[in-house]
Amino acid sequence: MELSMDFCKEVLEEVMRRGVKEALVRAQERVYEVVVFDKGVLRTVGRTRLVGLGIKVVLNGAVGYAYTSSSDPESIGRAIDMAIAAARSLATRARPRAFSLEGAGSGKYRTRYLVDPLSINVEDKIELVRDLNKLSLDLVGLVSAVTRLGAERDRKVVVSSFGAEVEVEVTAVGLSHLAVAKSGDVMERVSDQKTFAGGYEFVRAYDWEAFVREVSELAVKASQARAPPPGVYRAVVDNELVGLLLHEAFGHASEGDHVLHGTSVLSGKVGTPVASELVTIVDEGLVEGGYPLPFDDEGAPKGRTVVLDRGILKGYLHSRSTAGEMGSSPTGNARAQDVTFDTLVRQTNFYMLPGDARVEELFEGLSDGIYLRGRGASGGEVDPSLGTFTFSVGPSYLVRRGEPAELVRGVIVSGSILETLKGVDMVARDLKVTTSVFGGCGKEGQLVRVGDGGPHIRVQRIVVGGI
Amino acid sequence: MEMAALAERGVRRAEELGASEAELYVVRERLVRIEGVACGLERVECGEEVTAVARVLVGRRLALQSSVIAVEEDVYRLVEGALRVARASEEDPHWHSLPKTLGKSPTVDLVDPRIAEGEVDHFAEIVSRAVSLPTAIDRRARAVRARVAASRIERAVANSYQSPVSEVSTYFNFSITVKASDERGESTYYGYHEAPTLREFNMEAVVEEATRVAVGTIGAKAVPAGGYQALFMPRFFASLLSSLLVPAVRADLVQRERSPLRGRLYSQVLSGQLTIIDDGCAPNMVGSGAFDEEGVPTRRKVVFDGGVLTTYLYDTYTANIEGRASTGNARRSGGSNVHPDATNIIVLPGTSPLESLVREVRRGLVIYDAIGSWLSNYVSGLMNATITHAYYVENGEVRHPVKGVVISGNVYTILREGLVAVSREVELVSNYLVPAAMVSEVTVASE
Repeated sequence: MELSMDFCKEVLEEVMRRGVKEALVRAQERVYEVVVFDKGVLRTVGRTRLVGLGIKVVLNGAVGYAYTSSSDPESIGRAIDMAIAAARSLATRARPRAFSLEGAGSGKYRTRYLVDPLSINVEDKIELVRDLNKLSLDLVGLVSAVTRLGAERDRKVVVSSFGAEVEVEVTAVGLSHLAVAKSGDVMERVSDQKTFAGGYEFVRAYDWEAFVREVSELAVKASQARAPPPGVYRAVVDNELVGLLLHEAFGHASEGDHVLHGTSVLSGKVGTPVASELVTIVDEGLVEGGYPLPFDDEGAPKGRTVVLDRGILKGYLHSRSTAGEMGSSPTGNARAQDVTFDTLVRQTNFYMLPGDARVEELFEGLSDGIYLRGRGASGGEVDPSLGTFTFSVGPSYLVRRGEPAELVRGVIVSGSILETLKGVDMVARDLKVTTSVFGGCGKEGQLVRVGDGGPHIRVQRIVVGGI
Repeated sequence: MEMAALAERGVRRAEELGASEAELYVVRERLVRIEGVACGLERVECGEEVTAVARVLVGRRLALQSSVIAVEEDVYRLVEGALRVARASEEDPHWHSLPKTLGKSPTVDLVDPRIAEGEVDHFAEIVSRAVSLPTAIDRRARAVRARVAASRIERAVANSYQSPVSEVSTYFNFSITVKASDERGESTYYGYHEAPTLREFNMEAVVEEATRVAVGTIGAKAVPAGGYQALFMPRFFASLLSSLLVPAVRADLVQRERSPLRGRLYSQVLSGQLTIIDDGCAPNMVGSGAFDEEGVPTRRKVVFDGGVLTTYLYDTYTANIEGRASTGNARRSGGSNVHPDATNIIVLPGTSPLESLVREVRRGLVIYDAIGSWLSNYVSGLMNATITHAYYVENGEVRHPVKGVVISGNVYTILREGLVAVSREVELVSNYLVPAAMVSEVTVASE
């Protein structure tokens, strides 16, 4: 399929010729390559390619969306007819609503790289991953390890009747490692990954041996550690974990569709304090370490959206439809997993701005608590309507007399959206934002790449599971 | 493009180009999704897509490629690309062969003509009716969102050893989010039904259950930390089985020393009250098909027989390593290689009525749903979940709804010596058909 602005504009013109006043055309091609070594054996050398075209038509507030992977005129014509017919079939039962007329971006973005990661010889990739996997398995105490090298190029073109004309191409590459260690009868696993938006030059420059060794050694130590006593702790959260906390504790609740439908505890709270005044949270399209997306899948610009400013809720993340219904402006947060889906409101790079404290100062006031680490954390989940979130943490440390004292195995923590961030009493200055080419954020059956991050923070109360 | 013929032509092309073995797995999916909110319908998404996944070997060098297919030539480009990579790849010393026997098990109730037709109006009507129901059931409740997804799926597998196998099936998913509020606060609950056909779909029952739990959990609060009895209702029980037990019985994870059940075949792993079956051809369950995802006929097998572990779940690769037959459990996810996984999990019911189990709770939690159970650690068996919908029960009486506490424990302790009873009622939860399970103790961490 031709993925060009001209082609998409032609399709849009054809849609409009059929009497439609409001429409959007989105074309996408995504290629993903992965090499996986599992316990010393090459398990996957794989390449996945998806390509397609999505057509969105809005009639009296009803959305008809159709997609096709064929670029011949008959297939595209059929997809246009399906989108229009779908919208018409709902029109008598749809509720009237207005989509925002703002949010029409124009421009091109392409991640810069020196060495195209999709052009590297597969033998070179295999050698790298094999050697790293073997290095891990040679460590005493390790029983199993999985090492993966992933590279992705995701290219989209979006044009719309309200003036959007954008092209975005993101290239990213990363390596992940899962180590499983055994100590007596106890088995423990730790995994971590490192992703760069850019080219293979990052893979060549990074010290992957040190990375794999650290993850593996941590798995061994964690297998010898106990689980923390369950309870409520005062905690220092490191800058590899804080992003996951924010994503779950705040990010989903600030998505405009949750707010609109009354399934967010942040509904109706703009202008009120919902966190400590030390906390400022933004969602941004381009930030170092994050997943670069200067335009969303409606072609709206994604700049910096201030969601929380010194503890005060400033606004929500919006698509054109949620913005239109709530009298706001689109914030460039309408995204879809691929062309087989219409967009939802999603986070982009959701992170906390750094404060003034040195990291050491966060421990000075913590005579007895826990130091929650992100390395080895596997994800989180939230129910934004109930205000309850949870996420896993990697092997962490019980803190005694202001010092990380005892390693404990990774467990989950949970908290209340409206309470946890009010308890932030110190914010360090060491900002870190990360993303992953191996996963992302899941919502309503769609997965999208995201970035998240922040500095080290200290929170008054967080519930830690354990046995 | 006819799927079986397309798959077979792809295999032949790979062999012509020098592959020693080749397999094509092709799927055509045509789907409709409809979404509505309380005041009306909002969106229809529809379309059709063909995808193909090729496994191509040169000796023991394997490469995997998948692609969306628009024209037949895309399949040929796919196998050409896979062959190039296979030639440059490294040998897998454990590789034996692709499945030498493809076939189909008899199945029933996997195709519904109403779904296959993909009639938008029919499903729009379901969503329209659903969003008006919660308020009619209880004035404190309203529908937040309801959705229907309906697909017709045609899939085929061909490989170098046998003629292709193919089948058509359908898929239906209805879901509704209900919010309830009164002077005590708010709560939201999510109900759904997922099956190949509409045969057992009772929209009113799904909405009624979601409304009942949403209303019943208004004003939910924490309970003090400590040990509690727990009654795992089917949805929560299914999530624990899925995140902790199923990975532990996957033969690939056992062989690669990532399962705590390695070396535990024929030992008492769970309570004698638990018999757990994996059945790839169960009627009207979403994990069913005539063949697994590498074309091997599916079948029913007892995984835990009265708590004794009797088999792991195998695909052809892991079965060949042990010189045994595949159990028909090959699955594919994303761009990864074929691996074993559960098809449908059926836990045989017990003899205790659910009502009597609740009455036996002296001090405990009746748990409907939680978040984060999938974050539990299957390697260690450590269960962790944050409760979102539960009731605190004392001496058989419900005292108040509960949310926001973390429960944990070792799943093998909880489901072996800790299992008290299993209900005689079962519930369909996606590809799980499970009863409720009463356990003697879980640890609660709380504010």
